[in-house]
Amino acid sequence: MGTPLHSLQTVALRKEYPGTVALNDIALRFDGGKIHALLGKNGAGKSTLVKIFAGAVAPTSGTILVNDAPVRFDSPREALARGIAAVHQELSLVPEMTVAENILLGRLPGKRRGLIDWKEVARRAEAVLQNLGVTLDVHAKARTLGVAQQQMVEIARAMSHSPAVLMLDEPTSALAHDETERLFTLLRTLAARGVVILYITHRLEEISRIADTVTVLRNGRHVGTIGAAEATPAIIVQMIFGEVVQKTRPPGLLARQEPVLEVRNFTRTGAFTNVSFDLHAGEILGIAGLLGSGRTELLRALFGADPHDSGTVLLGGIPVRPSSPAQMCQHGMALAPENRKEEGLVQILSTRANLCLASLQRIARHGFTTAGRERAVAAQSIHDVAISLPSVDAPVSALSGGNQQKVVVAKWLNTNPRVILLDEPTRGIDLQAKQQMFQLIWDLSARGIGSIVVSSELEELMDICHRIMIMKKGTLTGEISPQHSTLEQLFARCMS
Amino acid sequence: MNRIRILLSSAVLEMVLVILCTILAATAPNFLTAENLLNILRNVSMQGLIALGMTMVIIAAEIDLSVGSMVAFSGCLTAWITRWGTSPPVALPMVPVLMAAILLSIGVGFLLGSLTGFLRTRFAVPSFISTLALLTGLTGAAELITNGFPLTPFPAWYNFIGGGYLLGVPFPALLFLLAFAGVHTLMNYTTFGRAVYAVGGNAEAARLSGIDVPRVKTLVLAITAALAAASGVMQSSEIMSGTATTAKGWELDVIAAVIIGGTSLAGGVGRVWGTMVGVLFLGIIINGMTLLNVSEYWQNVVRGALILLAVLINRLQQKQ
Repeated sequence: MGTPLHSLQTVALRKEYPGTVALNDIALRFDGGKIHALLGKNGAGKSTLVKIFAGAVAPTSGTILVNDAPVRFDSPREALARGIAAVHQELSLVPEMTVAENILLGRLPGKRRGLIDWKEVARRAEAVLQNLGVTLDVHAKARTLGVAQQQMVEIARAMSHSPAVLMLDEPTSALAHDETERLFTLLRTLAARGVVILYITHRLEEISRIADTVTVLRNGRHVGTIGAAEATPAIIVQMIFGEVVQKTRPPGLLARQEPVLEVRNFTRTGAFTNVSFDLHAGEILGIAGLLGSGRTELLRALFGADPHDSGTVLLGGIPVRPSSPAQMCQHGMALAPENRKEEGLVQILSTRANLCLASLQRIARHGFTTAGRERAVAAQSIHDVAISLPSVDAPVSALSGGNQQKVVVAKWLNTNPRVILLDEPTRGIDLQAKQQMFQLIWDLSARGIGSIVVSSELEELMDICHRIMIMKKGTLTGEISPQHSTLEQLFARCMS
Repeated sequence: MNRIRILLSSAVLEMVLVILCTILAATAPNFLTAENLLNILRNVSMQGLIALGMTMVIIAAEIDLSVGSMVAFSGCLTAWITRWGTSPPVALPMVPVLMAAILLSIGVGFLLGSLTGFLRTRFAVPSFISTLALLTGLTGAAELITNGFPLTPFPAWYNFIGGGYLLGVPFPALLFLLAFAGVHTLMNYTTFGRAVYAVGGNAEAARLSGIDVPRVKTLVLAITAALAAASGVMQSSEIMSGTATTAKGWELDVIAAVIIGGTSLAGGVGRVWGTMVGVLFLGIIINGMTLLNVSEYWQNVVRGALILLAVLINRLQQKQ
C-alpha cells in the first residue's frame, strides 16, 4: 500500500541539570515500521530522553528531527502537534468520564453556541478504536475498565492524533500475560503502518518477543543500538551495566553473630506474605526485586509506617509490634524512605531543623531546646557525613539530591539506631555522592548498626552488601552472597 | 551596611507599622499618649490572645473558624454556671463558684478543641469543616443557655479581669503579653514547637521521623480553643455579662492578623512575633481611624484594603 515510513532522529542532543549531565550528545535514529526498545537503568538518561521527546523537558542543546525535519516544542501539546505521542506508565484517564470523552479530551467537537456534539464525539471515538481494531464501549466510564482496557484507551487517545512517533513507557508493568499479547499485536499493527514505536522497558524477556532493535543508554550516553536478534540477555546486561568496577568494601567489615532484627512470617495482605529473615549486628543486607515486588512495602511495615496483618518482629531479642514510626523509632529503628523529597525531609524547614527532627527528645532538656543546642548537633552531623551546604539555617530544599540524602541518614544517626532501613538510598544522586553514601553505609556497619538496603541498582547491592535477598511478588524467593555470585546470576534470579 | 539591609528587609512589616504610627502621631489628635497606647493594647488583647493560638494552628496547616463563637459561648457558660452555683438551691459562695466557672469554661474549650483534633486525625474530617460546624453549634448553644438574653450574675470585682488595671497597665493586656511570652517560648524553644513546624511543613515526613502527628495537631487545636475560651471569660468580664451575640466574626480578624504577620496558610511557616505585629497593626489602624473621625463604613473598607496590602508586602518579601 506504500505507507510512508516515519522517522525520529536526534543530533547532538544534550541535557544538563545543575551539577550533572543527564544526556551527553545523543545521536540516534529510529525508523518507522519497526519497534525500538529503549533500555537503561535508573539514572541512565532514559527518562530524560523520553521527557524531551514528549515535550515535558527542553533540551539544553541539540536538535530533534521528525521525518527528517527539525522540530522544536516547549510543551506536550506542541510535541503532539509535531507528531510525537506518549503513553506514560501512570495511566492518566479521567475516571468519571466516558471512553469517548477521554479519547477526545481537550478537543471535543462542538455545535453552535459552544455546546458539545455528543453524537459526533461517539462517532469519532468509535472510528479511532475501530481503526486500531479494538472493541470497547465508548459510553463506558473509564473507571469501570480494567487496566489493560484503560491502556488501550490511552493508546487510542495517542493514536487519534495520527502521530509519527508513539512512545510507550513500561506499558506492560501492570498487564497480565494475555493482555500483554494483545498489546503487542496492536503495536505490530501500528508499526506496519509506518509509525515509529519507541518501547521503554525493564523486562529483558520482552525484547525478543516485541522489539526489532535495542538501544541502550548508560550514564547519559548512547552505548549502542543492536538488532534484536543479536541481543542476548548477557549482551544486554553488559551494555546496561558496563564493565562493573568492583568498588572495595573494607575487607574487615563482617557481620556479627548476634541478630539485631528477627522477622518471622511477616505478612501484609496484598503486599508481602510470610517474610522471615534475620539481620545481624553490623550486617548490610540487600533486598533485590523489581518495582512492585513488595520491598518498599516491607520496609514501611517493619517501621510501622504502614499496618501489617500478622507475623512477629524481634528487635534486639525483644518482641515489638510495629504500630507507628514514633514507637519503632524509640525501639532504635530508622527508615530513610524512597521518596526523599516528599517523605524524608520537610523541605521548607532548615537543614538544622531537619537534622534534629527525629531526635528532638534527645537534644532537648525537659522538652526545652535552643537554636544553639541544635546547631551543635547539626554541626556534628555535617562533619560526620560530610554534607556540603550554604548555611544550616537555610531551607534544606537548597541542597543537592546527594546532600539531602545525607541529611536524611544523618537525621537518623542522631537517634543512635540499632537498625536502619534504606530504601533506594542512591536514587537520583551523582556518582561521587553515591560513593560517599556507600562509605556511610560501611561506616554504619563498622559501628555495629544493622542495615537493610533496598535498591533497583543491582550492581550497587553486589558492591555494598554482605548478603542479598531476592524478593518477588511479595515473597522472599532466595538469597545470594555477592562474594560467590555474579551480577548476571543476580539479574537472572530477579527477572526469572 | 549589609547587615542593616538584611535587618530592614526582614522587618518590612515592623517598618510599615512604625511609619503608620508616625503618620498617626502627626495627624491624629491624642494618638501618641500613654493612655491611648495602653488603650490600643487593651483593645487588641482579647483577639490577640486567640491569634497566638491561631498562629500555631495555621503553622500546623490547620484552621479554626469557631473561635468567635467560642468566645461568646464561653462567656455565657461562665455566666450560666455562676448564676446556677450562687442562686438557690445550690447557693454556694460567689468566689469559689466563679473561679470554678472560669476554669470549667476554659476546660470545655480545651475539650472541644481536642474533639476537632480527634475528628481531624482519626477520621480525616478537615478542621475547616468541623470548626465551621462548631461555629454554628456554639452560637446556638450560647443562645440556648442564655435564652437569648444577656446573663448578668457577676459581682463588681469580676470586671477586673477584662477591664481592670494593674500598676497602670490594663490587666487584659498583661494577660495577653504573658500568653505571648508563653506561646513564643513554646514555638521557639520546645520540642513541641519544632514538631508543630515539621507537621505543618510535611506531615508525612514528620510522621516518618517519629513525630506523633495526631498528638501535635490535636494539642494545637485544643490550646487554641482554650485560649478562645479564656478570651471569652475576659470578654464577659469586660461587658459584665454572658452575651450570645458577642464576638461575631472575630475569626476573620484573628486569621487576618496571623496572615498579616507572615504566617503561611499552607503551613510550616510563621512566627509568633509576626502575629504580635499583625495584631498591633490592625489595632492601631482602627484606633487611628476612630481618632480621625473616619466613619465606621470607611473603616471597614480601609481595613480590608490594608489587610490585602500587608499580605502582598509579605508575599513580595518572601519571593526575595
